[in-house]
Amino acid sequence: MLELRGVRHRYEGRVVVDLEQFSVPRTAAVAVVGHNGAGKSTLLRLLALLEAPTEGQVFWNGTAVPRRPAASLRRRVTLVEQRPVLFRGTVRENLEYGLRVREIAQAAANGIIADVVERLGLQPLLSRRRHELSDGEVQRVAVARALALRTDVLLLDEPASSADRAAAGALYRALAAERAARPFAVCVASHQLEDAYRWADDIRALADGRLSPVTPENLFRVELPVGDGVKSVRVGSIDIVVMTDRAGPAVVAVPPTDIFVSREPLPSSARNVFKGRVTGMAIEHRGAGVHVRADMGGVELVAAVTAEAARDLALTPGGPVVFSFKATAVQVF
Amino acid sequence: MDFLAEGFRRAWGLLVAGDSEVYGIALLTLKVAVVATAISCAAGLPLGYFLATRRFWGRRAALTMVNTALAFPTVVVGLLLYGLLSRQGPLGSLGWLYTWQAIVVGDVLLALPIAAALSAAAIQGVDPRIRRTAETLGAGAWRTAWTVAREARFALAAVITAAFGQVVAEIGAAMIVGGNIRGSTRTLTTAVALYTAQGDFGLALALGLVLLLLALVVNIALQMLQGRGHA
Repeated sequence: MLELRGVRHRYEGRVVVDLEQFSVPRTAAVAVVGHNGAGKSTLLRLLALLEAPTEGQVFWNGTAVPRRPAASLRRRVTLVEQRPVLFRGTVRENLEYGLRVREIAQAAANGIIADVVERLGLQPLLSRRRHELSDGEVQRVAVARALALRTDVLLLDEPASSADRAAAGALYRALAAERAARPFAVCVASHQLEDAYRWADDIRALADGRLSPVTPENLFRVELPVGDGVKSVRVGSIDIVVMTDRAGPAVVAVPPTDIFVSREPLPSSARNVFKGRVTGMAIEHRGAGVHVRADMGGVELVAAVTAEAARDLALTPGGPVVFSFKATAVQVF
Repeated sequence: MDFLAEGFRRAWGLLVAGDSEVYGIALLTLKVAVVATAISCAAGLPLGYFLATRRFWGRRAALTMVNTALAFPTVVVGLLLYGLLSRQGPLGSLGWLYTWQAIVVGDVLLALPIAAALSAAAIQGVDPRIRRTAETLGAGAWRTAWTVAREARFALAAVITAAFGQVVAEIGAAMIVGGNIRGSTRTLTTAVALYTAQGDFGLALALGLVLLLLALVVNIALQMLQGRGHA
């Protein structure tokens, strides 16, 4: 439905998004995950048709979007920014804004607003003004304001960054309920991977503006020493052995699927062996795998195992675990 | 100091008595100021919004030009306009020289850069997320501009006040292209200058007080228009 092709977007000469192809299919639930500064927010602004790419093209249903798209096209996609702003006026007036723009009759608008207000529990806030709201409440109102528009594509930039755990859960439940009632595509930029694994169909990792072949767990910024072949890089309190000829600043990634999980160190060819404690376990959206998070002396690593393996190893939060991976499994970007 | 006190007494007398010349001059000044402020703001505010929000080749040069125009000496503007409106000038056929319309044109030329430059600064001061949010909620260009302007309403009201202040206090262009003709193009500022030169200090002071009163009333009206200041 919405697609970027050959997009290179620059700010002051610096490439911030560099994507050969990125699409948000109709009714898909896409999560874009990555570090701060990975280009997630810029990517969402490009998808929201708020900015035209410096190079490349945005397509809507296969048709190229002009550099200044018509308002009628922009109205089919909406974005909630990471730190959203409310306009002057009450929460209700904010919820009405996009509906007024679309010239929706007052009676119909009232019905839509009542619906999103109930879903997101905003009733007590309706007559408040922006300075009377917390950051989390502003974020909820902004999500409701976007949901009310019933766009074909909803883009959310860290929608739960100011919310506590319960509020974040409520937000994702509201999103799921809305999607069950009316299928639409949603693309969420998030660093909360557990949430992403729970609800997204498709998780894509962004690193330095590019799609990364691994999800951003185990993604670290490092300073590679000069030299060829095997080298050791410091990541927090641990040293990771990598195989690369590169030197200088880089991002290293350890694909969670390339990590062997055991309870005790195993004799193997793996150059990287870390003992730690399980800090959390998340079942993947499809239910086939389990993501095991472990604290390795201050550095968090994530490994992907099958649900069966997790059961056999009797992994429990707080319990001991050993992660092993080969130097060649470490990818350098 | 006596002449000053005498001047105030005379001024008060003229104002209380409803002197037709004083009030005639005040009304003409008000008419010229309102028309010139309206025209300069109607053109200058959208120009300021455009300069603040659009990225185009030469934008920086355009902003520099507008900012430079803030410092235009009023007599130079009057002189240039005189050349344009005089019988031999390219706009001589309009027959506007020594009319109130000529003063309006001069005042617009002086107030337009103020309206454009200050409104550009006011709009640039608005959080850029406001504009993006309006756009992503589906607003077209005009509604987006209106939404952004609402956020900058205090600063934009100050822009209108500044434009009105420039127009109402202007003397150089009004003198040159208006001609300071009694009953026709004599404004408060040109009249104050004339009566002071003639030694009629009381009348000059009365007109000066009216000028201050006019500025005060317009400022109060603009503040009331800004509303109660809800966020």
